[in-house]
Parts: sequence; C-alpha cells; structure tokens
Amino acid sequence: MSIKNQESTTAVTLDVDTGNKFAAWFAQKQNRYVLTIIGLVAICSAWALSNDTRWIYLLVYAWFGLIYGMFLQYGRFCMASAVRDLFAVGVSRMAVGVMIALCLYSLVAAVVNVSGFGTFHPQPLGLHIIIGGLIFGFGIIFTGGCASGSLYKTGEGNMGSALVILSISFSQAFFVNLGNWSDRLAPASWAASALEKDMPVELSADHGWFDLFTAGYVWDLHAATLADMLNVTQPIVRSFLANSFLVTILPASVILVLLYKFYFRKGYLRKHKIEQPEMRNHLQGIWAMIISSKNTAIAGIGLGVFAGLHVWATGALREHYDIFNFGELLEDMGYTSGLSIQGTVFDPGYWYITTQEAQWGAWVMEHMGMDMRSNIFFGLDNGIPNPLINAPGFMSIGIILGAAILALLRREFKWKLPSMETAVFALVGGALMGIGARIAMGCNIGAFFATVANGDPSGWLFLLGMVGGGYVGVKVFNLWLTWRTSQLDDGSFL
Amino acid sequence: MKQKFTTWWAWLFHKEVISISRQLHTVKLPDGETVRVTHSVDCMDTACPRPQMAVMSMLETMKKGDVLELITDNPTAIETVPALVMVLYSQHLATLQTDDGWCIYIRKND
Repeated sequence: MSIKNQESTTAVTLDVDTGNKFAAWFAQKQNRYVLTIIGLVAICSAWALSNDTRWIYLLVYAWFGLIYGMFLQYGRFCMASAVRDLFAVGVSRMAVGVMIALCLYSLVAAVVNVSGFGTFHPQPLGLHIIIGGLIFGFGIIFTGGCASGSLYKTGEGNMGSALVILSISFSQAFFVNLGNWSDRLAPASWAASALEKDMPVELSADHGWFDLFTAGYVWDLHAATLADMLNVTQPIVRSFLANSFLVTILPASVILVLLYKFYFRKGYLRKHKIEQPEMRNHLQGIWAMIISSKNTAIAGIGLGVFAGLHVWATGALREHYDIFNFGELLEDMGYTSGLSIQGTVFDPGYWYITTQEAQWGAWVMEHMGMDMRSNIFFGLDNGIPNPLINAPGFMSIGIILGAAILALLRREFKWKLPSMETAVFALVGGALMGIGARIAMGCNIGAFFATVANGDPSGWLFLLGMVGGGYVGVKVFNLWLTWRTSQLDDGSFL
Repeated sequence: MKQKFTTWWAWLFHKEVISISRQLHTVKLPDGETVRVTHSVDCMDTACPRPQMAVMSMLETMKKGDVLELITDNPTAIETVPALVMVLYSQHLATLQTDDGWCIYIRKND
C-alpha cells in the first residue's frame, strides 16, 4: 500500500515537472510561434481532408515542402554558395553537401523506379540547358540564393529573399508570354518547325519567342535517361547501374575527389602536418572534407532520402487514383478554370521550384486583365490554377514555413529588410534566374538535382552552365565591391 | 554594422557597412580559455558573401597569433566561416550565439 502511494506521488511530481518544463518552454514567444505554425498547418490539412480526401495529393506536396524547408535551414543548404564560395573564397563545404544529397537521392530514386512508382520525365538534351544554366548561375551570385535557397531564407525572415521570389515569379510569367515583337529574335527555322506542329490556334504557338523556342526547338530534341540511351531493359541494371551509378554516383565521386584536390588538400595536410602524403592520408582527407560541416552533411542525407520518398509518395497516389496528372483530380472535384487546354496543371511529382512560382505570377497578371494563356507554357502544359489549389505551389510555401519553424526553434529567425543595393540585386538577379530557369527548363533543383539523380545526364550540362555563370558572376561582383569600397574613405568597407 | 535611421529614405539608400575596430578586449570561450581579441569586424545586417570576404581580407592584414572577432547575423556565414578559416591556415576558436546574431573567434596561425 505504502509502495503504491509512493509511486503515485512520484508520478504526480513528474507530471508537474513536465508541466512546468512545458510552461517554461511555452513562455518563450518563438516556441509559441512554432506551435502556431504547426497548428495552422494541421488544422488546414484536416479541413482540406474533411472537405475531400483527394486533397491528400496536394497536402503531400505541402508536407514534403515542410521537410525540405527544415533540412535546408538546418544545413544552410544554399546552392548559390556551393558555386560562389568555391570561386569567391575557396570553400568547398556546400559543393560537398550537394554531392552527398545527390548520391542519396539517386539511390532512393533507383529503388522507387524499380518498384514502378517513378514520376520522372527526362529533359530534352540540348545546348539551351547550358545557356539557361549560365544565365541562372550569373543571377544567383547577385541574389545570394538559388530558388529554394531564397525560399528558406524567406522563412528565416529575410525580406530580400522574398523579393527574389517575387522577381522569379513575374519574370518567368512575363518571359514565357512575350508578344509577337519577339518573333524576330528567334531563328526562322524555329518558326517553320513550330508551324509544322499544328497546334491549336488559341495558343498562337507560332508567335512569341518562348513558344517558338519550345515548339520549334525543344520539341525536336531527344529526351532520355542514360538507360534508355543504352537500351538497357532489365529494371535493376537500368535503375541502379545505368541511371544511379553511371549518371550520378560516379561523376559525383569524381567531383568530390577534384574538390579535395583543388580546395581541401593543402589546408588539410598543413593542419595535420603531413609532409609526404600517402594514399591513406588522402582518403582520410576526403572523409574529413565530407564530415567537415556536420550540419551540411546531415542536411544532404536528409534531403536526398526525402526527395526520393517524395517521388514514391506521389507515384503511389497517382497509381491509387489512376491518374497521370493532378489536373484530372481537380476536374473531378469541379475546379476546371485553372486547367490547361489538355486538362492538365503543373504536377512534376518530385522536388521542383520554379514553374509553380511562374504560375503565381501568371495568376496575378491574369487577374490584372492580361492574356496569359495564349502560349504553350501555360495554355498547353501547366495551366494557371488558383494559388489556393496549386499543389506544387504548396511545396514552395511548405519550404518557407518549414524553414521558419526550424529557424524559430534555433533562435535564428530575424526580420531583415534589404538595403536599396540588396533589393536591386534581388530584383535584377531574380529576373535573370527566372529567364535562365525557363530556358533551361528548370532551376538547380528541377534541371540539375532531380534530373541527374533520376539518371538523365542533361542535368550535368546545367551544372556546367551554372558553374560558368557563377564564375563570371563572382568576378563581376568582386569588381562591384572593390568599386564600392573605394567610394568610402573612413577605413570601413562594404 | 547596425545602423539607425530617422527617415525612410535614409533607410532606403543606406549602404551595407562593415566596420572594423582595433579595440582590444578579452573574451572567455566555452572551453575555459580566455583570449585577447586584437581585431574585430562588425558585419551586422550584411548579406552574403560580404562577411566571408571581410574575414578573408582581415586575416590577410593580421599577424600570427592575432585573434579576430566576427560579429554577424548571417546564418550562412557562420556555417561557412569555420570551413573558410581552415583553407586560410587559421584556427576557428568558437562560435557564440548572442541575442541578435553570433560572434565567431578566429586565431591566425600562420
């Protein structure tokens, strides 16, 4: 009896204790904000599901967005700094993180593809990918973040990055909808080839630079994963050997060795006072480079695994509802106004950033009275759904909220207003990123990360372009900083 | 550097200024060591890659054994600077979180 009493007293004290701890935790306003965000997401999810369970398809995007946002913030996973830090300050941290994420994504994607739930479509292979990558890479140096980098930095309270997203959205919407005047900028062969495609008149596919580019150039190109090129049919050899090992893991390993050789070796050997390095030392050095920034490595692993799981989740849902595109579900639910003339909306089925932002911009422009649908990009392929039912759009919002949750928990959330200089860089750089992303058919996530990990070698072309653009961008940015510093005379610098 | 603005146009046209001070002070690090800070750069409210480049140019001017203090609120910078410091043959002593950012301490080794 007495023992039992004692037990119950301890239980009560424990409860009071946890209660107190929770009260202390709750008393901090950042933690209350975290609970508010999580609560709002949970309530909105429950509300959507109680309306119609088919919204699960949209919510999967939103939830994976939250996860991406948390990992991006955790590792300060910034693809812009992957390129910029290499050239500007000689640090390979982020480039290493990207390669880790890439290898894991490709392994998980191989499993998903073998199981038959793959959602990936290869990109047409052509020079436009390098050119788009160049423009995109030049832009990210000035905005200080790539497309998903800007999203997670917005979640940290950085309003300069929010401007970048705004600029990416509208520049893309504007660029794919250029008027007839831009026909002159396209080669005559594109126009001829576009005419042959016999597209519906309302798309005016033979007018506008981007329409000519799409119908007259990109559609004539060949898109294939390496396994398709090599004609491999056995599923396991296809996914693991051809697509994962040959396209991703082998090149990524070569890049890791090169990064070690050119950026890490000297400092590492000097730090450990190794004068005559052997193979063993170099291998230890490469390992030290991989784990040198733990947060980045952990984020790389997490992003790679969850990006692969995302493909599986969306693929399984498509199988369950027997659809190819979210547009079919929307039509069943009675939302037809945002669909393209094929009845589709943008629905990649994997991590993708830029197109949904273009749709936000186009939706606003359409409501200001502009005709946004007489082009292939919106009219035929992606549609312009209301942002409230734009499934990949919720992935972008999820990244912002996920990053905000983690930044608040780590006490790193801080409202930051940009200076005029940063704001101009954000708008101009963001516009370049938008244009580059459309020419290359994706940003560093859609055109490089997801592409390479799924076995499509065209993604490496994008990286090549992005690195080249980044190199030029760093040179120009340094000139700008030197000039600005020379304008100051009080010994401080910019 | 944290700047205060009285008018909105002053804010609109302000520059992101990094200020340098040579005021000597001592800091107690988490591992118990007390170091004497010889150089301090204040990169509050500056965007990437300015803090990183400020560290690079500061380390160039410093002598062996000098300690640099970097004050910043840029989360990407605090992740990059420790990696950057190794490339520059210096030692990352500690990163301390403050109310509105971080202070990073770096000793020049070479």
